[in-house]
Amino acid sequence: MDIFLTRLFAGMTAGSIYAMIALTLVIVFRSSATINFAQGEFALFTTYVSWWLTERGWNIWVTLIPAVVIGFVLCAAAERFLVRPVRRRDEAAVLIVGLALFTGLNGLSGTIWGSADKVYPRLVPVSVDSFLEIAGARLFYDSLFVMGALVAIVGGITLLMSRTNLGLQMRAVATNQESAGLCGIKVGRVFMISWGLAGAIGAVAAAILVPILPPGQLGLPGMFHMLIFGTVAAILGGLDSIKGAVVGGLSLGVGLAMINGYGSALGGSISLTVALVVVVAVLGLRPSGLFGSKRLERV
Amino acid sequence: MSAPLLQAKGLSAGYGQAMVLRDVDVEVAPGQVAVVLGANGAGKTTLMRALAGLLPFSGELLIDGQAVRNSRPDKMVGHGVSLVPQGRGTMSALSVVDNLRAGAVSRRDRAGVEEDIERWFTTFPRLAERHEQPAGTLSGGEQQMLAIARALMSRPRLLLCDEISLGLAPRIVQELFETIAQINAEMGTALLLVEQNAALAMKIASSVYLLEVGEVVESGDARDFEQSESIRRVYLGY
Amino acid sequence: MSTLIDKTSAARPSGEAPEGSGRRGPLVILRGTGRYRGIVAVCLVLAAGFVAWGGTLQPFEQGQLTRAAIFAIAILGLNFTTGYVGLLSVGHSAFLGLGAYTTGVLVVSYNQTALSTIPVAMAICFVLGLLVGIPALRIRGLYLAIVTLALGVAFPEIVARLGDLTGGAEGLTIRRTLLRPPEWSGFTLGEKDQWLYWLTIVCLVLAFVVLRNVITGRYGMAMNAVRQNEIAAAASGVNIATVKIFSFAVSGAITGLAGSLFAMYIGSLFAEGSFTVLAGITLLIGLVVGGERTMLGPILGGLIVVFLPYYTSDLGGGQFSAVLFAIVLIAVVFVAPDGIAGGLGRVIAKFVRIEARRPEGRDGGLLGTRASDPEPAADPGAGR
Repeated sequence: MDIFLTRLFAGMTAGSIYAMIALTLVIVFRSSATINFAQGEFALFTTYVSWWLTERGWNIWVTLIPAVVIGFVLCAAAERFLVRPVRRRDEAAVLIVGLALFTGLNGLSGTIWGSADKVYPRLVPVSVDSFLEIAGARLFYDSLFVMGALVAIVGGITLLMSRTNLGLQMRAVATNQESAGLCGIKVGRVFMISWGLAGAIGAVAAAILVPILPPGQLGLPGMFHMLIFGTVAAILGGLDSIKGAVVGGLSLGVGLAMINGYGSALGGSISLTVALVVVVAVLGLRPSGLFGSKRLERV
Repeated sequence: MSAPLLQAKGLSAGYGQAMVLRDVDVEVAPGQVAVVLGANGAGKTTLMRALAGLLPFSGELLIDGQAVRNSRPDKMVGHGVSLVPQGRGTMSALSVVDNLRAGAVSRRDRAGVEEDIERWFTTFPRLAERHEQPAGTLSGGEQQMLAIARALMSRPRLLLCDEISLGLAPRIVQELFETIAQINAEMGTALLLVEQNAALAMKIASSVYLLEVGEVVESGDARDFEQSESIRRVYLGY
Repeated sequence: MSTLIDKTSAARPSGEAPEGSGRRGPLVILRGTGRYRGIVAVCLVLAAGFVAWGGTLQPFEQGQLTRAAIFAIAILGLNFTTGYVGLLSVGHSAFLGLGAYTTGVLVVSYNQTALSTIPVAMAICFVLGLLVGIPALRIRGLYLAIVTLALGVAFPEIVARLGDLTGGAEGLTIRRTLLRPPEWSGFTLGEKDQWLYWLTIVCLVLAFVVLRNVITGRYGMAMNAVRQNEIAAAASGVNIATVKIFSFAVSGAITGLAGSLFAMYIGSLFAEGSFTVLAGITLLIGLVVGGERTMLGPILGGLIVVFLPYYTSDLGGGQFSAVLFAIVLIAVVFVAPDGIAGGLGRVIAKFVRIEARRPEGRDGGLLGTRASDPEPAADPGAGR
């Protein structure tokens, strides 16, 4: 039982992080109907900025402010100046721009800060005894912090969506861009803000996940696998659903923890292979995922 | 005489290489009701989409005598021109009341917006009953009512209606036309209607444009048109 | 067999200035005339000269050229499905890796000669291509890109788990003596790099000629049709399922050929090194920058993905080449959507035009047929 719970907690911690990444992808997808392949690298860049500032004596929490601002501005600018001009042409062009940003931002981070791994401080310091004991299993405070952060982010997004004028506009654009335009909504501006919002959330998510998930340090290849798991979580939940991103992220996290835990007799991790199977299965059998609206392209 | 509310001069528009509209002149005065008649494929929807800022066009488009170029739908709403698009012009995942609120995003007077929502709920009681329901779950007629109310939420000076009778039961069509005629009379909202149901549209229109294969072949006063035997037979069918 | 090079036929598709419209129209050359044959011959001689020059280079430079040719083959494969059929694949690194590991495992564990493993590698990659092609029947665009991405990401992990066969995380080393050139070739073991250079060139030429013939033929028309408008293609009697699956399989086989050659070239295989999805992204970058839907594009792409990082590695310690790639890629997407080959084609078209004697049939110009493709019709449902 305690082993099961330990794995469950580990899975929920990782799953909360996948859910955060999935949320950024979903927010972008709801406006632009595309996956931003560079989402992880935007977050990587802002985390490097945050790290750089902590090296200069800033408090880690304070560094989140410039990180979030830079995340917002970079993503919004990428939408406005690089994605929007080509999005009318075709889907492939948008993906290529995303791949270019992916490559370029990773290289830029490496050019500025070097390729050696950096020690990135935890937002919540932990010691060996900072855990709750539940039925013999340990639930560490930083796991609670990650789950709390997810709840806060989802709560914030939900409030934004349901209570504000901007949220109404974002929902309108997500349902029907043409009708939204006919309402007088500046559709382009909503796109830009959505991308910026995703960039800002990504900055927070990355600051949380870097010290927690292996390898526990800030390195150039670090975000890519996060993007993969975030993408799988988002697809599982149904790309355009916020609820789906959360459920998808948590199920993926817990599912992988169980498979890798109980399946460890098979040797080594098979997380990415599982991810492949999930993607193919979802897209093949139920393209709209668990909660997505049915509008995926099929012939 | 003051400048017309909307005036298109030599308007051409189309999709890619295919030019659907050629050199079209249309004019709507403040408070006026005009109707565009034509067969399927004549370019009626293209005209409406161009006027609403959904399609790029060449030629001149004047609002209050001021030229408008390379427009976008949100800008046209800002100019006081609002379109009820063909088919379902609603946002299906949004609730009825959110659709109406979305229609008013260009406005800053919150109190006025809430008042207008009440007003359209009074006009269309069936929407009031379903105000929390997602628009996609409404019947065709209800969706069309919602689309009209949504378009009116921005308090347009000109309402463009693209075949609002399409696919609806005659009784509902009758109701809708009575409603928009009333709106025109009470609020002074000018109407530009595209209609297959010519007979009905002619009843409330004061001027008429006949569109054939992308060109205006005839235009003039609605009463004169009703007198013309040939037109009546071809377009009105009586 | 069609000629290897009719470079200037690119002039025809873009045809911006019809004759007589400019002050001086471009030079028109008719196909099949002496002058046309002359140009083709000159281009062939130039290409052959370049290849021969490569044969005389020092081992390191020649190795780089071999590497570029291997990538050119891989990108040719990618172009077949991503370029012509429009099935965007981010994970072709899996085909490259599968080809490489097939050769590696057969040579190391089953004592096969390197050369004999090539058809096996191609066959296995063909089968994987068939399997990947199946989801492509139901999934398109962005979603297919994600499936291929997942494939590319999962591949190294799967290789690592099949440790008994592939050496797992430690990798698989093919001893140099196992890569001895066959005796009939006349190359000695010491000349292994020379042998591999020529082997790669021969494979590149073969792949080029075969794919070009397919693309310019009936099947190529079907591929274009599927890309532009599936419904219209199906209505015209094109079997979409066959086209998609077959194109993915052929594409995989060609990229697998490149992988097989890559194994011989690199000697030691690490799944986490050469065959991660980053390699797949590199192939895609090479294709887009070189020129999708052009025959010359993949060759330019191969040269670019090998030599651009090499010549920029002094700047900013290796990482900078990634930034440069990004800038080039974005510039290409904005300025020359048909890549460098397509851009060159349009420039040449201003001066020289190749025309068929009788205006019949289509040609797949070396620098692209894209401009001659009719625009997909605007959504007929857009209504009027």
